[in-house]
Amino acid sequence: MYFEAETNGQNYSLTIREDRESWRVGIKKQEQTDWDYHNVSKNDYQRLDQAISFIFENSSYLIDVVGEGTDYTVYTRGSYRKINIFNDEMILHESLKSGGQLKGGNNLTAGMPGKIVKVFVKEGQEVAEGEPLLIMEAMKMENEMRSSHDVVIDKIHVNDGDTVESGENLISFK
Amino acid sequence: MFNKILIANRGEIAVRVIRACRNLGIASVAVYSEADRNSLHVMLADEAYHIGPAPSAQSYLNVDKLVEVCKSAGVDAIHPGYGFLSENAKFVERLQQENIAFIGPTVDNIVAMGDKLAARELMEKANVPTVPGSPGAVTSVEEAEKISQEIGFPVIIKASAGGGGKGIRVVLDPKELASNFRACQSEGKNYFSDDRVFIERFIQNPKHIEMQVFGDNHGNVVHLFERECSVQRRHQKVIEESPSISVPPEVREKMGAVAVAAAKSINYIGAGTIEFIFDNNTKEFFFMEMNTRLQVEHPITELVTGTDLVREQILVADGQPLSFKQEDIKQKGHAIELRICAEDPLTFVPSPGAIRRYREPSAPFIRVDGGAYEGYEIPIYYDPMISKVISWGDTREECIKRLNGALSEYMITGVKTNINLHRNILKHPHFLSGEYTTQFIENEISGKKQEDMFMFVDDRVFLISAAIEAYQDAKSNNEFKFNENSQWKAQGRAKQLRN
Repeated sequence: MYFEAETNGQNYSLTIREDRESWRVGIKKQEQTDWDYHNVSKNDYQRLDQAISFIFENSSYLIDVVGEGTDYTVYTRGSYRKINIFNDEMILHESLKSGGQLKGGNNLTAGMPGKIVKVFVKEGQEVAEGEPLLIMEAMKMENEMRSSHDVVIDKIHVNDGDTVESGENLISFK
Repeated sequence: MFNKILIANRGEIAVRVIRACRNLGIASVAVYSEADRNSLHVMLADEAYHIGPAPSAQSYLNVDKLVEVCKSAGVDAIHPGYGFLSENAKFVERLQQENIAFIGPTVDNIVAMGDKLAARELMEKANVPTVPGSPGAVTSVEEAEKISQEIGFPVIIKASAGGGGKGIRVVLDPKELASNFRACQSEGKNYFSDDRVFIERFIQNPKHIEMQVFGDNHGNVVHLFERECSVQRRHQKVIEESPSISVPPEVREKMGAVAVAAAKSINYIGAGTIEFIFDNNTKEFFFMEMNTRLQVEHPITELVTGTDLVREQILVADGQPLSFKQEDIKQKGHAIELRICAEDPLTFVPSPGAIRRYREPSAPFIRVDGGAYEGYEIPIYYDPMISKVISWGDTREECIKRLNGALSEYMITGVKTNINLHRNILKHPHFLSGEYTTQFIENEISGKKQEDMFMFVDDRVFLISAAIEAYQDAKSNNEFKFNENSQWKAQGRAKQLRN
């Protein structure tokens, strides 16, 4: 089976074949031409007590993988990595969707309930990528929310001190 | 002795207090908000009462409801933990009226230290050193020069209303004082319409060092040595250790004496902490504030002094004298606490959610104070701390080794955690040498890339695992047959789509 994967800004091609006793997994970075193949014995990749025990090149990892749609998060050794995985059917599906707008969107929404501590921007203002938009307090922590790309502020829906619910629209962009 | 103690708190500290109650043969009563029905403290306590909806204002801070539960459950004392109502004088007054004991300091103690400015004045009267500075606003360059000479360079000039990098200037060289003073004044005037300016000693290599004190109703006050809490992010502590390797023995002795004098000056009762800002260049220390409660990091003091501070709090609240004298308290070995939080280790943004896999470390001299378990959902309403991993060693090196071992077997999945932040700090040369200051994370860790922080795992392990799982998911979704026909076909199709 063929997959395209993206993690940490790096694109990969992956192939996988299941044999009776093992997995054969090929990894290729997008810009490279050579495949790097790994034969993983099923004995070395086992589901034990719902976690996965994976012995890779004699290093023992206890792994948990959470898959939601195309988003896979792999947890191990206190680390985690989010990996987007598309098989060719999904790639087809994505390409049929109307162009662009896969990332970002026209609104800044609250990811969790919290309180708006300070709004830094005004309606009509041009904001460059990385500039702070507002500070929101959630879970006793102040989180500065920055612009992910260059935008123009259309409407601001909240004021300093407002309490907001998860998913609430905070700022709309033009 | 008390028969039943209500813990007006949640999470790991509620669990900690329940354990102390068990140790003393006292029944424990947990209270919980709607969001906390599944929390560990509710399961471990002898009794549990629902006290309201998730927001703490309507549950853990609801004094009327807490008093009502005390009455109906026959509770004779309340332990407030830390945070919530632990330093609320009105709450303690109310408990007095209701004839319920408060396991903590007196109303007067809390009031005396509650107002930061008033506390500073009180401490100055008790000869506790505070950061040297101008007594009021400084109006002229001549005055600024005179005061700066008195308090010693470097100094920091602050406009009264300054902030956001405006109206704050650090002066290292006396020759640059006049120009900076004038600039500060005009910035204050222009940006904040307030040209009042203050001058203070600037502490170049600041460390957060605090002294644990304990007083009883019989006039005894002792200290249990220091804790260093300079590893902080967003002004919140992440790692604490005792002793501090930056404090020389004679300074430690003086700090202890000052802390005891400070607590005695307000007739302090119970567990308290005096926080100092410590100048690592000059080894001077200055009073910052007093926390009139148990601290999150109390376990490291317990490990180096061989005491049970929560048990002691309960006994003191019962009117008993302290079970130890100053000369009984010795610092033995070294202890470090790591706060494990559900948060992104790079951005520190909280990561609430359900814990899928949970396996706590266990080894000699490893203690985990936690409130989580497999399947536990970390609520969005409260602090994101999952647990505290605490270790003891004969030496600091031994202690750090044990913590590294514990972290490598600590498994928490489903939420992001700062376990790897800790692993990075524990091997950082500035942490190992002890020269780290309160700016350590900001200067040395922030801006790190994810791949640097996660270097403990081979990238291929992530990719292979994700590929195998994605394959099995596709297989169980029946996407399999369509896809498996031909590798060549599949690749060709994918290539076309990308063009």
